[in-house]
Amino acid sequence: MLFNSIEFLIFFPIVTILFYLIPNKQRWILLLGASCFFYMWFIPKYILILLVTIAIDYTAGILIEEWQDDPSRKKKCLIVSIISTCLVLFIFKYLNFCSANFVALAQHFGWSHPQQILHIALPIGLSFHTFQSLSYVIEVYRGNQKAERHFGYYSLYVMFYPQLVTGPIERPQNLLRQLHEEKTLQYDNIANGLRLILFGLFLKMVVADNLGVHVDKIYENPQDFSSLDITLGMIFYSFQIYGDFFGYSTIALGCALCMGFTLIDNFKAPYQASSVQEFWRRWHISLSTWFRDYLYIPLGGNRVAIPRWMLNTLIVFTVCGIWHGANWTFMIWGFAYGVLLILERGLRNIHFFDKIQNKTGKRIIQGFNILKTFAIVTLLWCVFRATSFGNLRDVLSAWVHNGTLVSQLHVSPIAWIALAAFVCIDLILRQQRFDRWCAQRNIYVRWCLYAVMIFSIIVLSSVQQYPFIYFQF
Amino acid sequence: MTNETKHIILQLGRKFLLLAAVLVVLDIVYRFTFYPKDRDENCTLIPYSMKPVKENDDIIYLGESSNHSFCASDTDQRAISEMIDDMMPGHKVGKLSKDACHAGVYYDILRNIPRKNPVKTVIVTVNLRSFSSEWIYSDLEKPLQKEQIFMKKAPALYKRMLLAFKAYAHWSEDERQKLVREGLEEQTLKLPYYFPYHNASEWDHAIGSQDHLFNGQKVSMDTIVLTCHYIKDFAYQLDDNNPRIKDLDKIVKLCHRRGWKLVFHILADNMDQIKTLAGPDLEFLMKQNAQYIVNRYAPKRVTVVNNQYMVRDRDFFEREFPTEHYNQTGRRIVAEMVVEGIRD
Repeated sequence: MLFNSIEFLIFFPIVTILFYLIPNKQRWILLLGASCFFYMWFIPKYILILLVTIAIDYTAGILIEEWQDDPSRKKKCLIVSIISTCLVLFIFKYLNFCSANFVALAQHFGWSHPQQILHIALPIGLSFHTFQSLSYVIEVYRGNQKAERHFGYYSLYVMFYPQLVTGPIERPQNLLRQLHEEKTLQYDNIANGLRLILFGLFLKMVVADNLGVHVDKIYENPQDFSSLDITLGMIFYSFQIYGDFFGYSTIALGCALCMGFTLIDNFKAPYQASSVQEFWRRWHISLSTWFRDYLYIPLGGNRVAIPRWMLNTLIVFTVCGIWHGANWTFMIWGFAYGVLLILERGLRNIHFFDKIQNKTGKRIIQGFNILKTFAIVTLLWCVFRATSFGNLRDVLSAWVHNGTLVSQLHVSPIAWIALAAFVCIDLILRQQRFDRWCAQRNIYVRWCLYAVMIFSIIVLSSVQQYPFIYFQF
Repeated sequence: MTNETKHIILQLGRKFLLLAAVLVVLDIVYRFTFYPKDRDENCTLIPYSMKPVKENDDIIYLGESSNHSFCASDTDQRAISEMIDDMMPGHKVGKLSKDACHAGVYYDILRNIPRKNPVKTVIVTVNLRSFSSEWIYSDLEKPLQKEQIFMKKAPALYKRMLLAFKAYAHWSEDERQKLVREGLEEQTLKLPYYFPYHNASEWDHAIGSQDHLFNGQKVSMDTIVLTCHYIKDFAYQLDDNNPRIKDLDKIVKLCHRRGWKLVFHILADNMDQIKTLAGPDLEFLMKQNAQYIVNRYAPKRVTVVNNQYMVRDRDFFEREFPTEHYNQTGRRIVAEMVVEGIRD
C-alpha cells in the first residue's frame, strides 16, 4: 500500500482509531495484523520471505543471549544469523546481477556459461527490513539489547508498518522498547503526527512528483535536450529524490507519532551541508548511522593508520552503493563518495581562507561550500538516477555536447512553484522538524499553511503515478 | 473513558470541524480556479455527455470505435449512429462514442444526463471483446477510469482528490500484463464435448507454439498471432461475476428508473475469419456468450439486437487485428438491424 493512495487514506485512520480503542496488551496483535495487511497489499506471498528473516533473527537473538558466557558459540550464532539473513537479500536482490556479470566475464574469456536468470520481483523494502533485523541481532550480541522472547513483538519490530518498506531503519533500543510501552491518547501526538503526514504528502505529491515528470523526460531521451535542460534535470532530480524520500520518511514519522511512537529523523536539511561528510550526517541518517555502527567502526573506523582508514571508507561507501541496488551505477556512486570523503579529509589541513575573519566573509565562504557540496551531490545523483552505464553516458554526453542554452524542456509553472516552495521551506526549517516549527506559529498562520498544503496536495499534485523512489531498494 | 481523553476527543473534534470548513472553502476556490482546466484535460467524455443534453436528441447511441471508424474507400462516411439518425425521420439521434469505451463508462455517461433531457431511447453497443480480460485490463482503461472520476456526482475537490490519490486503475505495465494473464487462466472453459484446453491461456499457448491451425493447415506467423488474439479476446464464458455484466445490470436499472427504452446492440464480429482461424470451438463460445446476453436481458424489457453474424468478412476493413471496424456496407447493415430493433 502506498502512503499516497486512497487505500492508505482509509487504512490509516481505521488502524489508529482501533489502536486507541483496544486495550494496551492486545495492541501488538492489531499492529502486527495491520502491518501484514499493509505489506501484503503489494505481493502477498512475499510476506513469507519476511517471516523467514524474522524467524532466523528471532531465534538467533535468543540463542546469542543464552550463550552469553560462551563467546565462541555466540559469535558463530551471530555469523550464521548474518549470513542467512544476507543470503535472502542476496538471492532476491543480487543473484541475477552476479549471474549476468559472471556470464559477461565468461564470454570475455571465451568460456561457455549459460546465464541463470531468476524470474522474481524484488520484495518491496527488503534491504530496509533486512538491515533492521540485522541491527537487532548485532545489538543483542553486543549486550546492548535484551533478546525479545515474544515472537509477536519481535515480528512487529521488523514489520511495524509505517517504516516497513522504506525505513527509517530503526534500532531495537528505540522501537522495540516503545512497542512494550503503554501508549495513551495525547493531543500533541495526534496533532504533530498529522502535521508530519500533511508535510510528507506535500513533499511527495507536489514537489517530487511534479519534478519527476521533467526528470523522466530528460533521462529517457537525453539527446533531445540542451545542456541547460540537462543541468535543470539534474537539479530537479536532486530535489525530486529529496522530496520523495524525505516525504516518505516524514509520513512514516507522522503515522507512528499518531500512535505515540517516535521514530528517528532521517533527514536534517542535507542540501545545506557544507561538506560531503556533513551531507552524509544529514542524509538518510538511519542508514548512514547503521553503516557507521555496524561496518565502519568494526572495521576500525578512523582510529587506524591512514591507508587502512582510506580502505575502510571506500569499503563502507561502496557497500552503501550496492545496498541501493544491484547495478554498477550504484556501486560507482557509492565508491565516488568514498573517494570524495578521502579527498575532503586530505584537503582539510589546507586552509585556503584562513585570513578571512569577518562575519560576512565567513558567510560567503560557508555559502560557497554549500553550493560546492550541492553541485557534487547533484552530479553524483546523475550516476544514481541513470538506469545503466549507457544511459549515464548518453546523459553526460548530451550535457557536454548539446551546448545550446535554448531550452526544449517546457517546465510547468507548478513545478517551478513547488521547487521554490521546497527550497524556502528547507531554508526556513533548517534542521528543525516541521511539526515542531509549526507548533510554534500562531493559529492563523498554522491553518493558512494547512489550507495551502491541502489545496496543493489535492489540486497541484501530478496525475501520473510515481511510486516512491526508495521502494525499489 | 477518562475526562482527559474526553477533552482530547472534543479538542480533536473541533479541529476536524474546522478542517471540514476549510475543505468547503477550498472546494469553492478550486471550482472557480483549476477545475475547468482539470476537467477539460482529464475528461473528454464530459463534453460528449453534455452535447446531446443541449440538443433535442430523443435517442442516444453509446458506442466505441466501431461507430466512427471508416474505410478509406468508403463513399459513405457516416457513422452508424448517423445512419440510424437518417433512417429514423422524426427522431434525433445523439452519439456518444469514444475508443475503448465499455459498459462501465456508458453507465457513468448515462447517469450524467439531466432529467429534463428529452431522451426516450438509449442504444448501448455491446462489444463481446469488452468482456475479456484483455479489454478489462487494457492500457486504455486507466485514462477511461480517470475520466469516470470526473463524471462522478461529487464535490469538485473530492473528485480531484480521488485523482491525486490514484483512486483508479493505476497498475504498472507489468502489473497490467499479470492481470491479463491471470484473467486468461482464471476461468475454466466448459464445453459440452471434449476440449483439450482448460482455459484461454492454455489454448493461446498451444496455438502460439505451432505453425498450423486447428485443421492442420500450415499458416504464417502473422496468422498464428491473429488467431491467438481472437482466442485471448473471445475465449471466455460469461457469468454474473464478469464486471461488464455488472455494469450492464446497472444500466438496465438506471434506464428503467429513468423510463428510457433500452436497446443492447451486440456488435458483429468477423465470424467468417474466426471460424477459419480458430475453428468451431471459439465460435461455440462466442455464440454462447451472445446468447447469454440475449437470455439475461430480453426478459428484463431490454431489446437485444444480436448482430453477431450480420457482417461478412469482406465488410471488415481491418483483418490483421480483431476489430469491429466495418466498411459502409457493414455499418449500414448494422444500423438497419438496430433501427428494426427499435421499431419492434
